[in-house]
Amino acid sequence: MDYARSDTLAIKILIAGGFGVGKTTMVSAVSEIQPLSTEELLSDRGARVDDTSGVEAKTTTTVALDFGRITLREGLWIYLFGTPGQDRFWFMWDELAIGALGAVVLADTRRLGDAFPAVDFFEQRRIPYMVAVNLFDGARRHDPAVIRRALAVPAHVPLVPCDARDRESAKEVLLTLVRHAREMSRVGAN
Amino acid sequence: MAADEDPEPGPLVRMFAVTGGRARPVGEAFDVIAVVTTIGMPYDQAGLSPEHLAALRLATRPITVADIGTRLRLPLNITRVLLGDLRREGLVSIDPPAATAGVLNERIYQEVLNGLRAL
Repeated sequence: MDYARSDTLAIKILIAGGFGVGKTTMVSAVSEIQPLSTEELLSDRGARVDDTSGVEAKTTTTVALDFGRITLREGLWIYLFGTPGQDRFWFMWDELAIGALGAVVLADTRRLGDAFPAVDFFEQRRIPYMVAVNLFDGARRHDPAVIRRALAVPAHVPLVPCDARDRESAKEVLLTLVRHAREMSRVGAN
Repeated sequence: MAADEDPEPGPLVRMFAVTGGRARPVGEAFDVIAVVTTIGMPYDQAGLSPEHLAALRLATRPITVADIGTRLRLPLNITRVLLGDLRREGLVSIDPPAATAGVLNERIYQEVLNGLRAL
């Protein structure tokens, strides 16, 4: 096989969480490119979940999907995908999640409940994930143990504070996730 | 060109024109970060759109589906339809990304960790 091809690896990490929690901010903090927003054209599946009561059913709709890239070396890339925040686009998560190294669930202490669907999603699919609590300006600091309990996040899942705007903080979050994913793969292998 | 005098068609119109209205690629499904590599050039370019040819040029070095979509300014699923066509014609290979290929081993985890620390 062509050396260049076999030596090329792309790794996918998802940044999930509720609408407006800072997913795009985190992607842009650590990505080497401006987060790219691609308008995804949805066909049948998207249209069916639309509430089209009394309206001619739409056959297409669009949803923005943000992603960024980190080049670790020539031929080794990490792609960060900000998952669509609206629940009705859950089926896009499904496809994005296949083959992902892991996921960061961003949480906002003012709206902790918004993180539930994402935590639930990754728990059910046994995808390695962690929770990063985005400390917005003026956000009240909470005891991590309280947040863990509120989100029903198991003890082995990392839960850390972060500042989604800060590159070093975002990097630290990704390092934590990759270490956790490696740990999970070791456990799974035994 | 006369077409340039027309107002820019809406994005949806352009997308449908590119894929002939198709929303799903032919053949086996592939990931948004699957790695695409051009393995042949067409003898006959009839039947290939400018977007097909642009994708072939981009993939002369291995490149992900996501990056091709970005460079062509096309949504990922439209990009995948085009790449599915090229694969059917035997012009590109589309290789699964790391995790789905089951190659995320200790060495790669370590390389990723080292790479992230060095950023």
